[in-house]
Amino acid sequence: MSEPTTSPPTTRRPATGRSGPHLVLLALYALFILASGSRAIVQIATKFHVAPVAYLLSAVAACTYVAGWFAIRRAAQGRPAFARVMLWVELGGVVVIGTLSLVVRSWFPDDSVWSDYGKGYGWVPAALPILGLLWLHRSPRAADHG
Amino acid sequence: MSALTPIAWIVAGYALLVAVAAGLGVVLKAPRPRWLDQLAWMLEILSAVLVAGALGSLAQGNRPDSLSTHLGYLAAAVVIVPVALTTVRDDRGSWSSGVIAVAALATGVIAVRILMTR
Repeated sequence: MSEPTTSPPTTRRPATGRSGPHLVLLALYALFILASGSRAIVQIATKFHVAPVAYLLSAVAACTYVAGWFAIRRAAQGRPAFARVMLWVELGGVVVIGTLSLVVRSWFPDDSVWSDYGKGYGWVPAALPILGLLWLHRSPRAADHG
Repeated sequence: MSALTPIAWIVAGYALLVAVAAGLGVVLKAPRPRWLDQLAWMLEILSAVLVAGALGSLAQGNRPDSLSTHLGYLAAAVVIVPVALTTVRDDRGSWSSGVIAVAALATGVIAVRILMTR
């Protein structure tokens, strides 16, 4: 005789957001984790003395992209609080470091990921947090929670 | 001009084609068609040919200025598309085509970077 099936609990987890614009954002973030992370590792390991500030800032950018990836993922699951902070931090980083790279050239004998607002990567680093914030603003799932 | 140059440009051009096809899928809000996956796998095969050619060039004694950077691009060229396809394996929604578009564009850029760093 089969056991009676128990009904699922009434408090459901928020939808995981399988499909949506966040998939493209996650793909872009994953790509930039790979690009900036490997760039920073190679530069720090092989020629750190050339441009220590720029290379360390590339490593910071890579860490920011890791955090951004998790933030977008959490926001897609209905927990946008971390993304609201993280995307502004990332945008601030791009603006501040991009401006410093133009104003204080001596700090950047070689480019960092966010030099000239991400010019070396087609300015995608500057567009990425803006796209993320737009998605966060327009996403009903992200707006309903947190 | 070595044999690597035309192969790299074929990969870059084909990657752009795949990215445009995938991008159209997103714009038209169409479920991801099976043929888009096949186009992406074809891109993977072309990338593998490019990487094999680049490794052959290295084996013949050609040394790029930054070997680690060059090897990094070679690894990324064959990894990105399979990872993207695996990520959206169970999702046929239109936005999953966007992931393919990003992967294809990245592979095209990497093909050009392989040429620049060899």
